[in-house]
Amino acid sequence: MYRLLEFLRSIYVALLFIIIEAVAIGYYARSSQFTQARILTQSNRLVGGIHGAFHNLKHFFTLPAENRQLLERVVSLENELSLYREQAVYHALDTLASPLAGPYQYTSARVVANSINKQENFITLNKGLDYDVSPEMAVITPAGEMVGYVASCSDRYSVAVSILNTSFRASGEVLGDGHYGAISWNGLDSRYVSMSDLSKYTRIERGDTIVSTTISNYFPAGIRIGTVESFELNETRTAYNVKVRLAADMSALHDVILIKNQDLNELTQLNDRVQNKNSLDN
Amino acid sequence: MYRTLQYALLFLVAAALQIFLFNNLSLSVYLNPLVYVVFIALLPMEASPLTMLLSGLAMGVAMDWTMGAAGVNTIATVFVAFIRIHLLNFVCGKENVHDGGVPSSRRLGDKAFLNYLSLVVLIHNAIFFYLEALSPAHALATLLRLCVSAAVGILFCWLIARLFTNRLSLRV
Repeated sequence: MYRLLEFLRSIYVALLFIIIEAVAIGYYARSSQFTQARILTQSNRLVGGIHGAFHNLKHFFTLPAENRQLLERVVSLENELSLYREQAVYHALDTLASPLAGPYQYTSARVVANSINKQENFITLNKGLDYDVSPEMAVITPAGEMVGYVASCSDRYSVAVSILNTSFRASGEVLGDGHYGAISWNGLDSRYVSMSDLSKYTRIERGDTIVSTTISNYFPAGIRIGTVESFELNETRTAYNVKVRLAADMSALHDVILIKNQDLNELTQLNDRVQNKNSLDN
Repeated sequence: MYRTLQYALLFLVAAALQIFLFNNLSLSVYLNPLVYVVFIALLPMEASPLTMLLSGLAMGVAMDWTMGAAGVNTIATVFVAFIRIHLLNFVCGKENVHDGGVPSSRRLGDKAFLNYLSLVVLIHNAIFFYLEALSPAHALATLLRLCVSAAVGILFCWLIARLFTNRLSLRV
Protein backbone atom coordinates (compact mmCIF):
# COMPACT_ATOMS: atom_id res chain seq x y z
CA MET A 1 0.00 0.00 0.00
CA TYR A 2 2.77 2.35 0.98
CA ARG A 3 4.65 1.54 -2.20
CA LEU A 4 1.55 2.17 -4.27
CA LEU A 5 1.12 5.61 -2.67
CA GLU A 6 4.80 6.32 -3.20
CA PHE A 7 4.46 5.29 -6.86
CA LEU A 8 1.39 7.50 -7.36
CA ARG A 9 3.21 10.40 -5.74
CA SER A 10 6.06 10.01 -8.21
CA ILE A 11 3.84 10.07 -11.26
CA TYR A 12 0.95 12.28 -10.19
CA VAL A 13 2.06 15.24 -12.30
CA ALA A 14 2.33 13.10 -15.43
CA LEU A 15 -1.04 11.59 -14.58
CA LEU A 16 -2.58 15.03 -14.10
CA PHE A 17 -1.04 16.12 -17.42
CA ILE A 18 -2.62 13.18 -19.24
CA ILE A 19 -6.01 13.80 -17.62
CA ILE A 20 -6.02 17.53 -18.49
CA GLU A 21 -4.96 16.87 -22.08
CA ALA A 22 -7.51 14.08 -22.48
CA VAL A 23 -10.33 16.30 -21.21
CA ALA A 24 -9.26 19.20 -23.44
CA ILE A 25 -8.90 16.98 -26.53
CA GLY A 26 -12.28 15.36 -25.82
CA TYR A 27 -13.93 18.74 -25.48
CA TYR A 28 -12.29 20.05 -28.65
CA ALA A 29 -13.27 16.95 -30.63
CA ARG A 30 -16.92 17.34 -29.68
CA SER A 31 -17.11 21.10 -30.25
CA SER A 32 -18.84 22.72 -33.20
CA GLN A 33 -19.05 26.27 -34.50
CA PHE A 34 -22.04 26.76 -32.20
CA THR A 35 -20.12 25.65 -29.09
CA GLN A 36 -17.41 28.12 -30.01
CA ALA A 37 -19.88 30.93 -30.64
CA ARG A 38 -21.49 30.20 -27.24
CA ILE A 39 -18.14 30.35 -25.42
CA LEU A 40 -17.36 33.63 -27.17
CA THR A 41 -20.75 35.04 -26.20
CA GLN A 42 -20.03 34.26 -22.54
CA SER A 43 -16.57 35.82 -22.53
CA ASN A 44 -17.94 38.93 -24.24
CA ARG A 45 -19.88 39.69 -21.07
CA LEU A 46 -16.47 40.41 -19.54
CA VAL A 47 -14.29 41.71 -22.39
CA GLY A 48 -16.91 42.92 -24.90
CA GLY A 49 -16.93 46.44 -23.48
CA ILE A 50 -13.16 46.83 -23.82
CA HIS A 51 -13.23 45.37 -27.34
CA GLY A 52 -15.89 47.97 -28.15
CA ALA A 53 -13.77 50.83 -26.83
CA PHE A 54 -10.75 49.77 -28.93
CA HIS A 55 -12.89 49.31 -32.00
CA ASN A 56 -14.51 52.71 -31.61
CA LEU A 57 -11.07 54.29 -31.57
CA LYS A 58 -10.07 52.48 -34.78
CA HIS A 59 -13.45 53.27 -36.30
CA PHE A 60 -13.03 57.00 -35.72
CA PHE A 61 -10.32 57.18 -38.40
CA THR A 62 -12.39 55.47 -41.08
CA LEU A 63 -15.52 57.57 -40.59
CA PRO A 64 -15.22 59.87 -43.65
CA ALA A 65 -14.90 57.00 -46.13
CA GLU A 66 -17.74 55.16 -44.50
CA ASN A 67 -19.99 58.23 -44.54
CA ARG A 68 -19.44 58.56 -48.25
CA GLN A 69 -20.39 54.91 -48.79
CA LEU A 70 -23.51 55.29 -46.69
CA LEU A 71 -24.55 58.37 -48.63
CA GLU A 72 -24.22 56.48 -51.91
CA ARG A 73 -26.25 53.67 -50.43
CA VAL A 74 -28.97 56.08 -49.26
CA VAL A 75 -29.22 57.50 -52.78
CA SER A 76 -29.57 54.09 -54.40
CA LEU A 77 -32.12 52.98 -51.80
CA GLU A 78 -34.13 56.18 -52.30
CA ASN A 79 -34.25 55.39 -55.99
CA GLU A 80 -35.43 51.87 -55.30
CA LEU A 81 -37.99 53.13 -52.79
CA SER A 82 -39.57 55.47 -55.31
CA LEU A 83 -40.16 52.47 -57.57
CA TYR A 84 -41.83 50.54 -54.75
CA ARG A 85 -44.01 53.51 -53.86
CA GLU A 86 -45.29 53.50 -57.38
CA GLN A 87 -45.98 49.78 -57.19
CA ALA A 88 -47.74 50.22 -53.86
CA VAL A 89 -50.37 52.30 -55.57
CA TYR A 90 -51.05 49.51 -58.04
CA HIS A 91 -51.15 46.97 -55.23
CA ALA A 92 -53.67 49.09 -53.36
CA LEU A 93 -55.91 48.95 -56.39
CA ASP A 94 -55.48 45.17 -56.74
CA THR A 95 -57.41 43.64 -53.84
CA LEU A 96 -56.11 40.10 -54.47
CA ALA A 97 -52.42 41.01 -54.37
CA SER A 98 -50.27 39.82 -51.48
CA PRO A 99 -49.46 42.37 -48.77
CA LEU A 100 -46.32 44.41 -49.43
CA ALA A 101 -44.52 43.62 -46.18
CA GLY A 102 -42.08 40.71 -46.71
CA PRO A 103 -40.92 38.18 -44.13
CA TYR A 104 -37.66 40.04 -43.46
CA GLN A 105 -36.97 42.47 -40.64
CA TYR A 106 -33.83 44.65 -40.64
CA THR A 107 -31.71 46.14 -37.89
CA SER A 108 -28.18 47.54 -37.72
CA ALA A 109 -25.28 46.71 -35.41
CA ARG A 110 -21.66 47.67 -34.91
CA VAL A 111 -18.78 45.20 -35.11
CA VAL A 112 -16.77 45.19 -31.86
CA ALA A 113 -14.38 42.34 -32.66
CA ASN A 114 -13.58 40.51 -35.86
CA SER A 115 -10.76 38.24 -36.99
CA ILE A 116 -9.67 36.85 -40.35
CA ASN A 117 -6.51 35.03 -39.28
CA LYS A 118 -8.00 31.86 -37.82
CA GLN A 119 -9.58 28.84 -39.48
CA GLU A 120 -12.80 29.48 -37.59
CA ASN A 121 -13.40 33.21 -37.54
CA PHE A 122 -16.21 34.87 -35.63
CA ILE A 123 -17.60 38.41 -35.53
CA THR A 124 -18.77 39.99 -32.26
CA LEU A 125 -21.61 42.52 -32.61
CA ASN A 126 -22.71 45.14 -30.08
CA LYS A 127 -26.40 44.15 -30.02
CA GLY A 128 -27.97 41.12 -28.39
CA LEU A 129 -31.28 39.80 -27.10
CA ASP A 130 -32.10 43.25 -25.63
CA TYR A 131 -32.34 44.59 -29.18
CA ASP A 132 -34.31 41.64 -30.54
CA VAL A 133 -31.23 40.15 -32.17
CA SER A 134 -31.53 36.37 -32.24
CA PRO A 135 -29.56 33.39 -33.57
CA GLU A 136 -29.98 32.56 -37.27
CA MET A 137 -30.19 36.20 -38.37
CA ALA A 138 -28.26 37.02 -41.54
CA VAL A 139 -25.38 39.52 -41.35
CA ILE A 140 -24.61 41.73 -44.38
CA THR A 141 -22.66 44.94 -45.01
CA PRO A 142 -24.52 48.25 -45.49
CA ALA A 143 -23.80 47.82 -49.21
CA GLY A 144 -25.69 44.51 -49.20
CA GLU A 145 -22.82 41.98 -49.26
CA MET A 146 -22.87 38.64 -47.42
CA VAL A 147 -20.84 38.55 -44.18
CA GLY A 148 -22.16 35.68 -42.02
CA TYR A 149 -24.98 34.66 -39.71
CA VAL A 150 -25.63 35.05 -35.98
CA ALA A 151 -24.94 31.87 -34.01
CA SER A 152 -25.32 32.92 -30.37
CA CYS A 153 -26.58 35.91 -28.35
CA SER A 154 -26.22 37.29 -24.84
CA ASP A 155 -28.27 40.22 -23.58
CA ARG A 156 -25.95 42.87 -24.96
CA TYR A 157 -23.77 41.11 -27.52
CA SER A 158 -24.07 38.53 -30.25
CA VAL A 159 -21.53 36.36 -32.05
CA ALA A 160 -21.81 35.62 -35.76
CA VAL A 161 -20.13 32.89 -37.79
CA SER A 162 -18.05 34.75 -40.39
CA ILE A 163 -18.13 33.73 -44.07
CA LEU A 164 -14.39 33.25 -43.39
CA ASN A 165 -15.10 30.25 -41.14
CA THR A 166 -14.35 26.79 -42.49
CA SER A 167 -17.68 25.63 -41.01
CA PHE A 168 -19.69 28.34 -42.79
CA ARG A 169 -22.13 27.05 -45.43
CA ALA A 170 -24.51 28.93 -47.73
CA SER A 171 -25.93 28.49 -51.20
CA GLY A 172 -25.15 30.83 -54.05
CA GLU A 173 -26.22 31.23 -57.67
CA VAL A 174 -24.90 32.93 -60.75
CA LEU A 175 -26.93 36.11 -61.19
CA GLY A 176 -29.20 35.78 -64.19
CA ASP A 177 -28.67 32.04 -64.66
CA GLY A 178 -30.35 30.39 -61.69
CA HIS A 179 -28.11 27.33 -61.23
CA TYR A 180 -26.85 27.16 -57.69
CA GLY A 181 -23.88 25.75 -55.78
CA ALA A 182 -22.52 25.46 -52.24
CA ILE A 183 -20.44 28.33 -50.84
CA SER A 184 -17.65 27.57 -48.35
CA TRP A 185 -14.21 28.83 -47.30
CA ASN A 186 -11.11 26.66 -47.50
CA GLY A 187 -9.16 28.67 -44.92
CA LEU A 188 -6.37 29.78 -47.26
CA ASP A 189 -7.10 33.31 -48.49
CA SER A 190 -9.35 35.91 -46.86
CA ARG A 191 -10.29 37.46 -50.22
CA TYR A 192 -11.79 34.35 -51.82
CA VAL A 193 -14.42 31.70 -51.08
CA SER A 194 -15.22 28.71 -53.24
CA MET A 195 -18.47 27.54 -54.79
CA SER A 196 -18.73 23.81 -55.50
CA ASP A 197 -21.34 21.56 -57.12
CA LEU A 198 -22.38 24.18 -59.66
CA SER A 199 -24.03 22.40 -62.61
CA LYS A 200 -21.79 22.11 -65.67
CA TYR A 201 -24.65 23.43 -67.78
CA THR A 202 -24.40 26.83 -66.12
CA ARG A 203 -23.51 29.74 -68.38
CA ILE A 204 -20.66 31.25 -66.44
CA GLU A 205 -17.95 33.79 -67.20
CA ARG A 206 -15.18 35.47 -65.27
CA GLY A 207 -16.58 38.57 -63.54
CA ASP A 208 -20.13 37.18 -63.20
CA THR A 209 -21.86 38.13 -59.95
CA ILE A 210 -22.68 35.42 -57.39
CA VAL A 211 -25.70 36.11 -55.15
CA SER A 212 -27.63 34.26 -52.44
CA THR A 213 -30.49 31.99 -53.54
CA THR A 214 -34.17 31.74 -52.73
CA ILE A 215 -33.56 28.36 -51.03
CA SER A 216 -31.39 29.88 -48.31
CA ASN A 217 -33.03 29.91 -44.89
CA TYR A 218 -30.97 32.73 -43.39
CA PHE A 219 -30.28 35.05 -46.33
CA PRO A 220 -32.88 36.83 -48.48
CA ALA A 221 -32.41 36.10 -52.20
CA GLY A 222 -30.10 38.39 -54.14
CA ILE A 223 -27.58 39.29 -51.43
CA ARG A 224 -24.25 39.77 -53.20
CA ILE A 225 -21.55 37.22 -52.29
CA GLY A 226 -18.87 38.14 -54.82
CA THR A 227 -17.70 37.83 -58.41
CA VAL A 228 -16.31 34.87 -60.36
CA GLU A 229 -12.51 34.97 -60.35
CA SER A 230 -11.91 31.62 -62.06
CA PHE A 231 -13.70 28.31 -62.59
CA GLU A 232 -12.93 24.75 -63.66
CA LEU A 233 -14.71 21.40 -63.97
CA ASN A 234 -14.23 19.11 -60.98
CA GLU A 235 -12.38 15.77 -61.15
CA THR A 236 -15.42 13.80 -62.26
CA ARG A 237 -16.27 16.49 -64.82
CA THR A 238 -19.83 16.72 -63.54
CA ALA A 239 -19.83 20.17 -61.99
CA TYR A 240 -17.89 23.42 -61.78
CA ASN A 241 -15.67 24.50 -58.90
CA VAL A 242 -15.70 28.27 -58.85
CA LYS A 243 -13.27 30.62 -57.11
CA VAL A 244 -15.30 33.61 -55.93
CA ARG A 245 -13.75 36.97 -55.04
CA LEU A 246 -15.63 38.19 -51.95
CA ALA A 247 -17.67 41.35 -52.38
CA ALA A 248 -17.35 42.35 -48.71
CA ASP A 249 -13.98 43.56 -47.41
CA MET A 250 -13.86 41.31 -44.35
CA SER A 251 -10.81 43.03 -42.87
CA ALA A 252 -12.59 46.40 -42.72
CA LEU A 253 -15.99 45.62 -41.21
CA HIS A 254 -17.44 48.34 -38.99
CA ASP A 255 -21.21 48.55 -39.32
CA VAL A 256 -23.42 45.71 -40.45
CA ILE A 257 -27.10 45.08 -41.13
CA LEU A 258 -28.88 42.14 -39.49
CA ILE A 259 -31.81 40.47 -41.23
CA LYS A 260 -34.34 38.30 -39.47
CA ASN A 261 -36.42 35.84 -41.49
CA GLN A 262 -39.69 35.90 -39.55
CA ASP A 263 -40.96 32.87 -41.43
CA LEU A 264 -37.92 30.75 -40.56
CA ASN A 265 -39.59 29.06 -37.59
CA GLU A 266 -42.65 28.19 -39.59
CA LEU A 267 -40.50 26.85 -42.44
CA THR A 268 -38.39 24.64 -40.16
CA GLN A 269 -41.48 23.27 -38.41
CA LEU A 270 -43.08 22.50 -41.75
CA ASN A 271 -39.91 20.80 -42.94
CA ASP A 272 -39.63 18.75 -39.73
CA ARG A 273 -43.25 17.67 -40.00
CA VAL A 274 -42.81 16.46 -43.57
CA GLN A 275 -39.59 14.66 -42.65
CA ASN A 276 -41.21 13.01 -39.62
CA LYS A 277 -44.13 11.90 -41.72
CA ASN A 278 -41.79 10.53 -44.35
CA SER A 279 -39.76 8.56 -41.84
CA LEU A 280 -42.97 7.19 -40.28
CA ASP A 281 -44.22 6.11 -43.71
CA ASN A 282 -40.99 4.32 -44.37
CA MET B 1 5.53 31.55 -3.94
CA TYR B 2 7.83 34.47 -4.43
CA ARG B 3 7.12 37.18 -7.02
CA THR B 4 3.51 36.12 -7.23
CA LEU B 5 2.47 39.71 -7.88
CA GLN B 6 4.94 40.16 -10.75
CA TYR B 7 3.83 36.94 -12.38
CA ALA B 8 0.13 37.76 -11.93
CA LEU B 9 0.84 41.05 -13.68
CA LEU B 10 2.71 39.25 -16.48
CA PHE B 11 -0.25 36.88 -16.87
CA LEU B 12 -2.66 39.81 -17.20
CA VAL B 13 -0.46 41.80 -19.59
CA ALA B 14 0.25 38.80 -21.85
CA ALA B 15 -3.44 37.82 -21.88
CA ALA B 16 -4.62 41.38 -22.53
CA LEU B 17 -2.13 41.88 -25.39
CA GLN B 18 -3.32 38.63 -26.95
CA ILE B 19 -7.04 39.34 -26.57
CA PHE B 20 -7.16 42.99 -27.49
CA LEU B 21 -4.25 43.40 -29.89
CA PHE B 22 -3.07 40.20 -31.57
CA ASN B 23 -6.48 38.51 -31.86
CA ASN B 24 -7.80 41.53 -33.74
CA LEU B 25 -4.99 41.77 -36.28
CA SER B 26 -6.74 41.72 -39.63
CA LEU B 27 -3.68 41.75 -41.85
CA SER B 28 -3.52 38.27 -43.29
CA VAL B 29 -4.84 34.73 -42.88
CA TYR B 30 -1.24 33.68 -42.28
CA LEU B 31 -0.54 36.06 -39.40
CA ASN B 32 -1.89 34.90 -36.05
CA PRO B 33 0.85 35.50 -33.46
CA LEU B 34 0.24 33.71 -30.15
CA VAL B 35 2.32 35.71 -27.70
CA TYR B 36 0.62 34.68 -24.47
CA VAL B 37 2.89 31.62 -24.28
CA VAL B 38 5.65 34.00 -23.11
CA PHE B 39 4.07 33.69 -19.64
CA ILE B 40 4.94 29.98 -19.57
CA ALA B 41 8.42 30.60 -21.00
CA LEU B 42 9.28 33.15 -18.31
CA LEU B 43 8.18 31.17 -15.23
CA PRO B 44 11.16 30.61 -12.90
CA MET B 45 13.32 27.63 -13.81
CA GLU B 46 12.89 26.08 -10.36
CA ALA B 47 9.07 26.17 -10.54
CA SER B 48 7.61 22.80 -9.56
CA PRO B 49 6.08 20.60 -12.28
CA LEU B 50 2.68 21.06 -10.65
CA THR B 51 3.00 24.88 -10.72
CA MET B 52 3.96 24.68 -14.39
CA LEU B 53 1.02 22.46 -15.23
CA LEU B 54 -1.51 24.63 -13.38
CA SER B 55 -0.09 27.83 -14.89
CA GLY B 56 -0.40 26.31 -18.35
CA LEU B 57 -3.94 25.22 -17.60
CA ALA B 58 -4.93 28.68 -16.32
CA MET B 59 -3.50 30.49 -19.36
CA GLY B 60 -4.89 27.91 -21.81
CA VAL B 61 -8.40 28.04 -20.40
CA ALA B 62 -8.35 31.85 -20.27
CA MET B 63 -7.35 32.01 -23.94
CA ASP B 64 -9.86 29.35 -25.04
CA TRP B 65 -12.59 31.22 -23.23
CA THR B 66 -11.83 34.60 -24.79
CA MET B 67 -11.10 33.26 -28.30
CA GLY B 68 -14.05 30.85 -28.29
CA ALA B 69 -11.58 28.14 -29.22
CA ALA B 70 -13.00 25.14 -27.29
CA GLY B 71 -9.73 23.57 -26.11
CA VAL B 72 -6.94 24.09 -28.68
CA ASN B 73 -5.14 26.68 -26.57
CA THR B 74 -5.34 24.51 -23.46
CA ILE B 75 -3.98 21.46 -25.28
CA ALA B 76 -1.01 23.40 -26.70
CA THR B 77 -0.21 25.45 -23.57
CA VAL B 78 -0.41 22.59 -21.07
CA PHE B 79 1.81 20.48 -23.31
CA VAL B 80 4.45 23.22 -23.54
CA ALA B 81 4.27 23.81 -19.77
CA PHE B 82 4.79 20.09 -19.16
CA ILE B 83 7.85 19.71 -21.40
CA ARG B 84 9.41 23.12 -20.66
CA ILE B 85 11.91 21.79 -18.14
CA HIS B 86 13.22 19.34 -20.76
CA LEU B 87 13.53 22.13 -23.32
CA LEU B 88 15.50 24.19 -20.80
CA ASN B 89 17.77 21.24 -19.99
CA PHE B 90 18.27 20.59 -23.68
CA VAL B 91 19.18 24.17 -24.59
CA CYS B 92 21.05 25.36 -21.48
CA GLY B 93 22.32 22.21 -19.79
CA LYS B 94 21.03 20.55 -16.63
CA GLU B 95 23.59 22.16 -14.32
CA ASN B 96 22.71 25.66 -15.39
CA VAL B 97 18.98 25.06 -15.06
CA HIS B 98 19.38 23.48 -11.65
CA ASP B 99 20.67 26.81 -10.26
CA GLY B 100 17.23 28.33 -10.93
CA GLY B 101 16.29 31.92 -11.67
CA VAL B 102 14.12 33.59 -14.27
CA PRO B 103 14.98 32.60 -17.85
CA SER B 104 16.37 35.69 -19.58
CA SER B 105 19.10 36.93 -21.91
CA ARG B 106 21.24 38.00 -18.94
CA ARG B 107 20.80 34.75 -17.05
CA LEU B 108 21.24 32.30 -19.96
CA GLY B 109 23.03 34.39 -22.58
CA ASP B 110 21.44 35.98 -25.64
CA LYS B 111 21.80 33.00 -27.95
CA ALA B 112 20.66 30.31 -25.53
CA PHE B 113 17.67 32.37 -24.41
CA LEU B 114 16.57 33.09 -27.98
CA ASN B 115 16.92 29.39 -28.87
CA TYR B 116 14.87 28.41 -25.84
CA LEU B 117 12.18 31.01 -26.52
CA SER B 118 11.97 30.04 -30.20
CA LEU B 119 11.61 26.38 -29.31
CA VAL B 120 8.78 27.08 -26.83
CA VAL B 121 6.88 29.30 -29.31
CA LEU B 122 7.45 26.93 -32.25
CA ILE B 123 6.24 23.82 -30.43
CA HIS B 124 3.23 25.65 -28.99
CA ASN B 125 2.28 27.17 -32.36
CA ALA B 126 2.80 23.89 -34.24
CA ILE B 127 0.31 22.10 -31.96
CA PHE B 128 -2.12 25.02 -32.19
CA PHE B 129 -2.11 25.44 -35.97
CA TYR B 130 -2.18 21.75 -36.89
CA LEU B 131 -5.00 21.06 -34.40
CA GLU B 132 -6.87 24.10 -35.70
CA ALA B 133 -6.56 22.98 -39.32
CA LEU B 134 -7.25 19.34 -38.36
CA SER B 135 -6.78 18.06 -41.89
CA PRO B 136 -3.76 17.16 -44.00
CA ALA B 137 -5.39 18.84 -47.02
CA HIS B 138 -3.62 22.17 -46.65
CA ALA B 139 -0.52 20.99 -44.77
CA LEU B 140 1.73 23.39 -46.69
CA ALA B 141 -0.51 26.38 -46.08
CA THR B 142 -0.60 25.45 -42.38
CA LEU B 143 3.20 25.24 -42.38
CA LEU B 144 3.40 28.73 -43.90
CA ARG B 145 0.91 30.01 -41.34
CA LEU B 146 3.02 28.41 -38.60
CA CYS B 147 6.28 29.93 -39.87
CA VAL B 148 4.94 33.48 -40.33
CA SER B 149 3.00 33.54 -37.05
CA ALA B 150 5.81 31.93 -35.03
CA ALA B 151 8.42 34.37 -36.40
CA VAL B 152 6.31 37.38 -35.40
CA GLY B 153 5.35 35.64 -32.14
CA ILE B 154 9.00 35.03 -31.19
CA LEU B 155 9.82 38.68 -31.88
CA PHE B 156 7.07 39.96 -29.60
CA CYS B 157 7.73 37.32 -26.91
CA TRP B 158 11.36 38.43 -26.88
CA LEU B 159 10.34 42.09 -26.47
CA ILE B 160 7.96 41.24 -23.61
CA ALA B 161 10.65 39.07 -22.00
CA ARG B 162 13.14 41.96 -22.22
CA LEU B 163 10.69 44.37 -20.57
CA PHE B 164 9.77 41.87 -17.86
CA THR B 165 13.21 40.57 -16.92
CA ASN B 166 14.85 44.01 -16.96
CA ARG B 167 12.79 44.80 -13.89
CA LEU B 168 13.80 41.69 -11.98
CA SER B 169 17.11 40.78 -10.44
CA LEU B 170 18.94 37.85 -12.04
CA ARG B 171 18.69 35.23 -9.36
CA VAL B 172 16.04 34.50 -6.79
